[in-house]
Amino acid sequence: MMTLIKERVPTPERPVEERLKGFMEVNLGYTFELAVKEAERCLQCSPAPCTQGCPVHIDVPGFIRKLRENRDNPEKAVKEALEVIWACNTLPAITGRVCPQEDQCEAVCVMGKVGEPINIGKLERFVADYAREKGIDEKLLQEITPKIEKKKEKVAVIGAGPAGLTCAAELAKEGYQVTIFEALHKPGGVLVYGIPEFRLPKETIEKELEKLKKLGVEIKTDYVVGRTVTFDELLEEYDAVFIGTGAGTPKLLNIPGINLNGIYSANEFLTRVNLMKAYAFPEYETPIKVGKKVIVIGAGNTAMDAARTARRLGAEVTIAYRRGEEDVTARVEEVAHAKEEGVKFEFFLNPVEFIGDENGRVKAVKFEKMRPLEERDARGKRKLVPTGETAVLEADTVIIAIGKTTSKLLRMTLPQIEADEHGVIKVNENMMTNIPGVFAGGDAIRGEATVILAMGDGRKAAKGIKQYLEEKRKSS
Amino acid sequence: MYEILEKREIAANNVLYKIHAPHIARKVQPGQFVVVRAFENGERIPLTPVMWDAEEGWITLVTFIRGRTTLRMNMELQEGDKILNIAGPLGNPAPMKKFGKILAIGMITGIVEVYPIAKAWQEIGNEVITLHIVPEPMIILKEDLEKAVSKHIVESFPLKEGMGMPEIFKELVTRGQAKVRELIEKEKPDLVFMVGPARGQKAIFDVVKEYGIPMEVDLHPIMVDGTGMCGACRVTVGGEVKFACVDGPSFNAYEVNWEELIARSEFYADLEKKALEDYLTKLQQGGAQ
Repeated sequence: MMTLIKERVPTPERPVEERLKGFMEVNLGYTFELAVKEAERCLQCSPAPCTQGCPVHIDVPGFIRKLRENRDNPEKAVKEALEVIWACNTLPAITGRVCPQEDQCEAVCVMGKVGEPINIGKLERFVADYAREKGIDEKLLQEITPKIEKKKEKVAVIGAGPAGLTCAAELAKEGYQVTIFEALHKPGGVLVYGIPEFRLPKETIEKELEKLKKLGVEIKTDYVVGRTVTFDELLEEYDAVFIGTGAGTPKLLNIPGINLNGIYSANEFLTRVNLMKAYAFPEYETPIKVGKKVIVIGAGNTAMDAARTARRLGAEVTIAYRRGEEDVTARVEEVAHAKEEGVKFEFFLNPVEFIGDENGRVKAVKFEKMRPLEERDARGKRKLVPTGETAVLEADTVIIAIGKTTSKLLRMTLPQIEADEHGVIKVNENMMTNIPGVFAGGDAIRGEATVILAMGDGRKAAKGIKQYLEEKRKSS
Repeated sequence: MYEILEKREIAANNVLYKIHAPHIARKVQPGQFVVVRAFENGERIPLTPVMWDAEEGWITLVTFIRGRTTLRMNMELQEGDKILNIAGPLGNPAPMKKFGKILAIGMITGIVEVYPIAKAWQEIGNEVITLHIVPEPMIILKEDLEKAVSKHIVESFPLKEGMGMPEIFKELVTRGQAKVRELIEKEKPDLVFMVGPARGQKAIFDVVKEYGIPMEVDLHPIMVDGTGMCGACRVTVGGEVKFACVDGPSFNAYEVNWEELIARSEFYADLEKKALEDYLTKLQQGGAQ
């Protein structure tokens, strides 16, 4: 008799000692054999809650079925699984790694009610990685591209992050001529400057970008829209515009000492290390200073990324959060990895002052201790009251990871776009802004969210743009 | 990739690059800067276009050789070579208003940023006096400024053997302060503007504030992206945290927290020295990449 397999097939992980020596990817992913074994646990529900739980509605049971149906032919299995995924998501190697699956597809997995949910994220990643390794995605792309009927309309995409890249890919597949404008020297947005190598290898992103170029998308780096080219110029030259400028401005704490040396925004810290590779200084020429004791303020995914990065640069790291452990917003996997790697956590500490030495470098952080109430706020988090009691923690480096807001430059150079008081752009159900032909998505319309939601927006906006351009064509 | 059309050492340690960068030339205005990444493993550094031609699509940049990147650019980039990345123009253009009589000061290579602004101010009807405080071998843009503004003054001194950076700087400050005092009393400017190292700006401001004359300074704290994304360049101005890259680079000198700005500008000095020494070692061993 068959028995129900309640436990997941584990994915191999790099040992902690080895991780701390560098920036190599922590999770090593499934082999084909392991992937099939995990795929066999799937109940093939219909209708499938996991598909509903996915922000871009990937046919999860569909791609899993392809894997196990073709267990004797790995290439065929992966090709067919990839086709299913690509119908909804062009960047599975990325989402398989950085999606909060435990809050989405895996959260509603029926298997999760009696045992561990199917490891959908790692299966998605396996399909993408294996396809890349064997050149299967390349072949699939070659089958698709000749069928694309070129259209005359041109679309400008601002920002080469997850929202922009997805929107561009979808539009290119429809045959539109797409140009992406990126301010930095490398495309990828938060995927290259924010998310560290050990969680999302740069090589993975580069390979996904190659795919985009093969679809005919042009990427212009060094272009700061609003400065290098104005919105009005874009509107003149392009038939539609997509704004995917993300949440580009770091939030800082408005408390004394914030500008002391050694206090980094998480954006600056991660940009120096990830994009500029400061960990290899002086071979890579951008410096970074990480002292012996690092305090990271905040407890989201960015805070975990910063903390784990600082560990790899040799520091003792403490995450200080004003709420309790139950309200930590980072993914479970990231928190677990941070703990394994020796990151310490201090809860209910609200920073009130940074204390500096005679040279203007931070030497300690003064916190006020908070007390949680039973009452919860609108977001379901326990309300806090200050206790009046303080605590001082020594630190020679502080990283502020309390969130980001929309691009200041965008607000300055595009005042006519309708946005809320935080600069978060307003869009309609088709992702169009108050300016006809100008669409937006990702953190630019959400404040701060996830890679997959940004990708979902990019996809939805691409549909909105297609509809807009088709109507425009009809009426002209 | 942006081709170097021309490269010249225009004075000791001052190198001019004329670069094909039509996207910048088309849009740049006086007061704006660019961020350059010259090498694959290189830093992103802010530099200010000095001259440009929108039709021909070129800009000129002048670097003052002071660390690894600027030295390496001089050693490894020749005419016909390409610079990997130039992003911009960034920052807000200088306000094009009639201020009356303006004293615009550049210390050492700071004068390259003064040039386009002073020229434009003169063109719209201001009376502009420019002052270049500089060691003699590093005098640049003299003829250009003489042509562009009402009066151009060079306050210079010869470099003596054994003069290190601290002595040179002391000389720049002492002479600069005396000259600025003299010019304020003689010319009675309505506005003083200055570009240069933060310590130099602070020293000159100390003189200007005695007279209560409005003073604007273009600030160049350490930057990484230059588009407002990282906050490395934050400065406290009027008690508020500002990002020099998107809120500046020009600020009211009376509102700047100078002590903090200077400390932040010098935070990486030891690592900058280490990077330079590392490069010099490579050069000695004939292995510069």
